[in-house]
Amino acid sequence: MSLIWTSILMPVIGAALVAVASVRLSKWISLLATLGSLAALTLFAFEFPAWNNGQYHPVEAGPAWLDAAGIRLSVGFDTVSLLLALLTAFLMPLCIIGSYTAVTERVKEYYGWFLLLGASIILAFAARDAILFYVGYEFTLVPMTILIAVYGGTERRVAAIKMFLYTFLGSMFMLAAIIYVAWEHRVSSGAWTFDIDALTATAVRLPASAQYWLFASLMIGFAVKVPLFPLHTWLPLAHDQAPTAGSVILASAMLKLGTYGNYRFALPMAPAGGAELMVVVAVLSIVAIIYASLICWVQTDAKKLIAYSSVAHLGLCMLGLFALNPVGAEGAVFYMVNHGLSTGALFLCIGMFYERYHTKDTDVLGGLAKKMPVWATFMVLFTLASIGLPGLNGFIGEFLCLGGTFIAEHDGQSGYPGVLGPRFAVIAGLGLILAAMYLLILLGKIVWGPLREPHHDAAHDHAAAQGTLPSDLSAREILVLTPLAVACIWLGVQPQPMLKAIEPCATRMLAKYPDEVRQLKEREAQMAADAADASNLAQLPQHGGVR
Amino acid sequence: MSADFPIPQAVVAPELAWVGLALLLPLVSAVLCTVCAIARLPGKLPAVFTVLALAASFVVVLRAYNAYSGPVQVPIFEWMSFAWGDGRFQQFTAPCALYIDSLTLFWMLFVTGLGTLIALYASEYMETEKGAGYARFFFGISIFLFAMSSLVMGDNLVMLYLGWEGVGLASYLLIGFDYQRPSAVAAAKKAFIMNRIGDLGLALGIFMLWANYGTLQYSQLFQAMNSGGQTVVDWDVSLIPFLLMLGAFGKSAQFPLFTWLPDAMEGPTPVSALIHAATMVTAGVFLIARMYPFFALHPEALATVAWIGGGTALLAATIGMAQYDIKRVFAYSTISQLGYMFLGLGVGTTYGACYHTFTHAFFKALLFLTAGAIMHGFAGQLDLRKLSGVRHIPGWRLVSWTMFIGCLWLAAFPYTAAFFSKDAILLKALTSTRWDFVFLGWLGLFTAALTAYYTFRVWFRVCCGPVHFEPAADGHHADASPDAHGHGNAHAAKAGHAADHGFHPHAPKWAISTVLALLAIGTVAAGFPAYNEAFAHGTNWAQKMIAGSSAAAGAQAVEHAAAPGAGANADHAALGTVLGMDAHTGLLVVGATASIGGILIAAYLHLLSRASADALRRALLANWFIRWLPICMERKWFVDEIYHGLFRLPLWLGSQVLHFGDKHFLDGVLVDGIARIPIAAGKLFRPLYGGALQGYAVSMVAGVALVLAWMTWVWLRGFE
Repeated sequence: MSLIWTSILMPVIGAALVAVASVRLSKWISLLATLGSLAALTLFAFEFPAWNNGQYHPVEAGPAWLDAAGIRLSVGFDTVSLLLALLTAFLMPLCIIGSYTAVTERVKEYYGWFLLLGASIILAFAARDAILFYVGYEFTLVPMTILIAVYGGTERRVAAIKMFLYTFLGSMFMLAAIIYVAWEHRVSSGAWTFDIDALTATAVRLPASAQYWLFASLMIGFAVKVPLFPLHTWLPLAHDQAPTAGSVILASAMLKLGTYGNYRFALPMAPAGGAELMVVVAVLSIVAIIYASLICWVQTDAKKLIAYSSVAHLGLCMLGLFALNPVGAEGAVFYMVNHGLSTGALFLCIGMFYERYHTKDTDVLGGLAKKMPVWATFMVLFTLASIGLPGLNGFIGEFLCLGGTFIAEHDGQSGYPGVLGPRFAVIAGLGLILAAMYLLILLGKIVWGPLREPHHDAAHDHAAAQGTLPSDLSAREILVLTPLAVACIWLGVQPQPMLKAIEPCATRMLAKYPDEVRQLKEREAQMAADAADASNLAQLPQHGGVR
Repeated sequence: MSADFPIPQAVVAPELAWVGLALLLPLVSAVLCTVCAIARLPGKLPAVFTVLALAASFVVVLRAYNAYSGPVQVPIFEWMSFAWGDGRFQQFTAPCALYIDSLTLFWMLFVTGLGTLIALYASEYMETEKGAGYARFFFGISIFLFAMSSLVMGDNLVMLYLGWEGVGLASYLLIGFDYQRPSAVAAAKKAFIMNRIGDLGLALGIFMLWANYGTLQYSQLFQAMNSGGQTVVDWDVSLIPFLLMLGAFGKSAQFPLFTWLPDAMEGPTPVSALIHAATMVTAGVFLIARMYPFFALHPEALATVAWIGGGTALLAATIGMAQYDIKRVFAYSTISQLGYMFLGLGVGTTYGACYHTFTHAFFKALLFLTAGAIMHGFAGQLDLRKLSGVRHIPGWRLVSWTMFIGCLWLAAFPYTAAFFSKDAILLKALTSTRWDFVFLGWLGLFTAALTAYYTFRVWFRVCCGPVHFEPAADGHHADASPDAHGHGNAHAAKAGHAADHGFHPHAPKWAISTVLALLAIGTVAAGFPAYNEAFAHGTNWAQKMIAGSSAAAGAQAVEHAAAPGAGANADHAALGTVLGMDAHTGLLVVGATASIGGILIAAYLHLLSRASADALRRALLANWFIRWLPICMERKWFVDEIYHGLFRLPLWLGSQVLHFGDKHFLDGVLVDGIARIPIAAGKLFRPLYGGALQGYAVSMVAGVALVLAWMTWVWLRGFE
């Protein structure tokens, strides 16, 4: 069995074992299962031959699943999906360790569903078959809904149902689009297949009007997941109600399925539609940046604040992707990984003080640096990474996304004409100022300032009496945050290998775009000329008056 | 233009990689400070590490200076580089590398030198914080030195940006060092956010340069200038200097982004001296000097720099005249002096601007450190109305007289170093062919008089007169431990004369005294380049350093454009006259008059007849025609309030509206409303589901029929 399937199935087997094991044992089983999954993926990454060519590996078709429909169990990675799968596998054990004290009821079910969640996300990234991708993509909703609905806060039911219905409805559009392309493939070649490369090859040959609708419906599906303004309202609620580890995986890995979907399906499959609609997406992205940032400013709930900041950050990521040049695309992919690390870590940090104080309200709680200096150090570091401080990971993606947007102009010199340009970069850049504003305000409230603690409630006294949690971080919690901190610093200092590895994928994804955008521009110029002619004609009678 | 005044081309010199130690050493010391904090190592170990690392990095810079023979580019490792084609515009290259020319060395010499001295000073100043706070402080200092070195020595604009934001981070951490005091936290936040506004300008400027020249490495940018910029984005190339300028104004606290610097005085005083006076705030000057050729292409950009600089100098001086907190007076004087530097850059003398940066770094660090010594000794007292006659108190002579030197230099007393450096700027302005530069020159002279006045207002108030002091009572600084010692609080309620009360100011010990003495010597010595030129007719070292860099090439181009035919030694050329005299003599006379006049007025109002100062203020406030002036000066021209009303408040209200709309309209009405449609539809069909079997059957059949119809339609369409 290949390493990829090992990494997907280890958590599944783990979940099965958890179901029959004792509560104590289930924690260790799930940790081992996720570590095994990470180890398998890491081994795969070491022998991965396609770091520098942007191709899938392995390329062999997998065993048939539904032969009649041409659905196969094909898995394989290119650089981008491998990085995102690695990110997921990297976060899973940290989340498991981080949940040891947070979850005290229905423990076995929790770990079981959590493992299935991880497996389905990795499956979605690994899939080379569109239906297999869809299965992984959609199955994530089941464990996530259960994690929120059972282990969440006071409004957990509403949050879980809203998340499920909203994203499910969105992915219906996506599924319809995929089946449409498969149908077209069947019509043109006579055989069913859902192989992503084959579908892409078919889709790019479709007429422009078909591509337009194809792109639009794929985009709707993925935009809900990203989430793109104005389809984002399920996210803050879901984050607010989800248990800490659920929030981490939701923000770090599940939202990436949306951006990854754009990278893998929407953009390469329908270049004509993408070129036509990129301005719409870009406008929505910058609206998301400004809108969500401003809302962050007046948020008093720490977790909702980070949730809205995800909307803003992923808006920038989408903008970079839709700059349609290698710089923006590199930045966007880098940003996906960065955002996973820094936002995941921020959710973990917030979860850690929530466990101690049972509140996330920054008006009640504050000045924790005095009491929890170690926690404060991590919190400041991850906040700075999220702000995009150079030298930490956030900067690389942010700078390249903005730079890519800036140069996406009518120039032929980079080889990638675009239509966004400096104006978009300026407005998106305002988001950098706003990000510094709301995140530093958050720091100013909960980390700095005089110590403010809520009145002790029964749960807190109980925990204190048991002595389960020290006032500052325990060794276990430090163990959870340290790998993330190291990753944030490492990627900021040495982004070069990753940038080099992403580059061929970016150019591959954008292969069709220079021509499409050029044609679009010509069409627009032609239309403008026609309109000018028409208005000239309309004025003719007045001029001549011969008739 | 570059053809006439070539920028010296850098050669690649990998063998000079050891210069990178200047960056690495502060980073190592930052790591060691972290280790000290984790291992809870007691004592002054973090200070020892930091001082040693900074001193070593100063030695590295000195060695680099000795080995210097021309601009070099030193590759270290690949940082952010990728290419998607072979063309110049098909790559993004930002390696971790150094670009060393004489401008770099000029800056690094005083950055690392002063950094070492101030870290030594801080080892004593921060001693009440021993433990984690001590380590945190020196971690901040180390990170600052690393970032500043990267800003100055970086080979490309992305490394400059790394340093640019890195010094902002250090500034944030150190202003908010005393994190339990809300005012310190607010000041730190304000500094970072206002700097971010400028940073956005810088980032956009960097993108603009990249889009137009296809590279971000200085050496190649300067090379690419020969072929001229290409307009490939729909913004005009002439925006480049304006965008860069915005970044410079943010970092160097110029109008309209200056209000963070006075608030930054919430930080411990060594931080104010190092970051907010001597080094970090000069980064804007460095940026413009480094990128001067690009400014030289656009005279209107330089004029803007000149106007902002001259205007800020005056504005800050008027505010500084009316403040009572010693550190805030010095903070406004910093803004004002930085204004002079930008005026110098704007009117075309990069030598004047850089030399003034150099002299200013010494005397302003000295001034802040003396203020810190006073604050340290007098339990956090900084109100100049509550301190008097300090020089008569035993043990305070050194502090008083080193402060006197600093004040003389800040007041640009004739034949001090600052007099020469300020003169270089004003001379250029006054002899310009542009009337507005001449006007700005006279404005600068007027500001010089104001500067002399408020500087000596501080010195005469604090160091002269009858002995009188009160420990800080208001808790503004006193509850914050680094500046106030425990016994200060005990006597906080008492006020009065030393002889009568239990409060004893404690005089500085060896580290502070040594550093003050060394800095005073440095302050005096900073004048040698100018003395050598003025009296011995030798070479001016500072001018030589600037002349070998991109800054000078740009300045010569400006000169050339203004007066074709003028020689390359433009800074030497005495052009025109001032008040009918030869320009040099005229400026000497007028400058000396302004300086000495200001000092004399201060002496009258604040030494000889202190009552008359209060009377003057009362008289001004009583006159309804003029009262706006002192009010505006004391209230800082209401700039903070205006920003609050114009930007912060509307944005905040808008955010509240958006927050409400997001929750109740977008989510509440639209999303939930759409979600209710199926429920409403369900109610419509409820009669079918009354429980009777035929109801279910009907709907099932209908559903199956619909699906079949759809499938048939698709099937038929497929065979068309």
